[in-house]
Amino acid sequence: MSGRSGAVSTSTTLRDAPRFDRGRHRFAVATASATLVLIFVGGLVTSTGSGLSVPDWPLSYGMLMPPMVGGVFYEHGHRMAASVVGFLTLVLAVWTARSESRPGVRRLAWAALAAVVAQGVLGGLTVIFLLPTPVSVAHACLAQTFFCIVIALAYSTSREWLAAPSGAADVRGLRGAALAAAVIVYLQLLIGAVMRHIGAGLAIPDFPLAFGRLLPPVSSVPVLVHFAHRVGGLVVLVAVARLFLRARRAGDPRFARLASALLGLVLFQIALGAATVLTTKAVTPTTLHVATGAAILGGCWLAALRSFRLLRPRPSTAVVAAPVARPVTQS
Amino acid sequence: MSIRSSLAVLALIGLPLLACGGGAKEEAVPPPGPAATAAAPAASGAGGAATGTASISGKISFEGTAPAPEKIKTSADPKCQAMHPQGLERQTVDASGGGLKDVLVYVKSGVSGSYPAPTEPVLLDQKGCMYHPHIITVQVGQPLKIRNSDDTLHNIHPHPTVNQEFNVGQPRQGMESTKTFDKPEVPIPVGCDVHPWMRSYIAVLNHPFFAVTKEDGTYEIKGLPPGEYEIEAWHEKLKNQTQKVTVKDGDKAKADFTYKS
Repeated sequence: MSGRSGAVSTSTTLRDAPRFDRGRHRFAVATASATLVLIFVGGLVTSTGSGLSVPDWPLSYGMLMPPMVGGVFYEHGHRMAASVVGFLTLVLAVWTARSESRPGVRRLAWAALAAVVAQGVLGGLTVIFLLPTPVSVAHACLAQTFFCIVIALAYSTSREWLAAPSGAADVRGLRGAALAAAVIVYLQLLIGAVMRHIGAGLAIPDFPLAFGRLLPPVSSVPVLVHFAHRVGGLVVLVAVARLFLRARRAGDPRFARLASALLGLVLFQIALGAATVLTTKAVTPTTLHVATGAAILGGCWLAALRSFRLLRPRPSTAVVAAPVARPVTQS
Repeated sequence: MSIRSSLAVLALIGLPLLACGGGAKEEAVPPPGPAATAAAPAASGAGGAATGTASISGKISFEGTAPAPEKIKTSADPKCQAMHPQGLERQTVDASGGGLKDVLVYVKSGVSGSYPAPTEPVLLDQKGCMYHPHIITVQVGQPLKIRNSDDTLHNIHPHPTVNQEFNVGQPRQGMESTKTFDKPEVPIPVGCDVHPWMRSYIAVLNHPFFAVTKEDGTYEIKGLPPGEYEIEAWHEKLKNQTQKVTVKDGDKAKADFTYKS
């Protein structure tokens, strides 16, 4: 997404056309990267069972900086990392409001700020109300939503976005495949969050089989949710493999490279899921599983944004597709 | 954006933070002074308003080999580690004193009438990054005083199923909090999320007829009125056992239990 130094004019001739702002774009990328780190740190809180090791909020044991011992290290560390991301988002929102000419991008920046504030409040509610499942799941899902908003901010300020779209037709169906993959991954993360916060991570204790069978006995909600997450993993694999194949056929390296990385991440993610079960939820694989899921969502979302920005809708069957998606030579 | 608008945004963020503080119903209080500590809380809640003359006593025995003590890593908190330079072990099945220690023995059914809760609090102390005692018994409505005797922070977090859950922080040595439970419940696990190895159990009963076995496995329940009672022995790792016992005025009945590995 990044570009070279200096402000570069876009090809549009409009007087108030957006110009590439390298500093703001890099800041948005840094905020997105920090968000991914924050998701990992937040995952550590649940993986180590430290969610209630600090019983008050917004202070911690009535202090701004409690002793970082035991579970406090993870819970208060998460709060500190969240404060950093909140501050980055505030700066990004104000920066965007002051220097961005596109109203949609300005609204997106304010939406990011609103989301990070809501996320902080949800985090506080999880503490005050002793980890109620709906609030904990909402906290987990809003984290992913916020991550996607910041990615959209970063991409919308990139040189690639600001350059004129090539006008290539989406003859390989990349737009649909990328969007479908992003939606499926988000739903899979939702199921994963429910599984994690109802304590169903080991409801099926073996892998790859389930109680020694292909289909487990649906004896309880935790077993059902856990099995749904496993099936969801296969659906994600199919969706990302479909995106990968279409990207390769399209021959555009911007899509092919991203889809290859995504396919690799999904395979790694399945291995992490297996490790989570087989190690009875050891902290490292369990938390990496959470963060890798977020990275896959971010990648699919970026692929969807990119395809909708760079490609025209697939032509109808009555029309012969003329230009095929090809790499755009960047000046 | 003007400076005024930027300040408005900051206020928007800060407002919910200020509005949503705290959740504990009863705040922890600073350590009491010397005069206040004169009336020390009881270590057990047994004995409140028991007016009968019969008693049931016995011994809980354990046959077989107890599991090896669990070694606890306290390195997550250097202060806890310093309190246990030789390391910390937890023996949940402790029969080293000739009988099984820390078994709750209580009248499960057969009690009639009402027994007002004692006003004297029961003490749950956090000392050496462990709970003392390991099994705490209180009556419904009886104050439970929770104290932090350690020079490190703890949070007290019971996990009841019928009573209200709470989570109280005690960041400073000597802090105390007082809580009550309004429904009978056996047992309520209690833990510290800062130090995951810390665990104890609270038994909340609506009568005073309960006891916890001593190191030699013996117990005694006093003050029982005449009647037929179901006595239950509860241990955190071993299965519950029950016996029917009938007593008359002045009886000293026996009810022994035996656990096997």
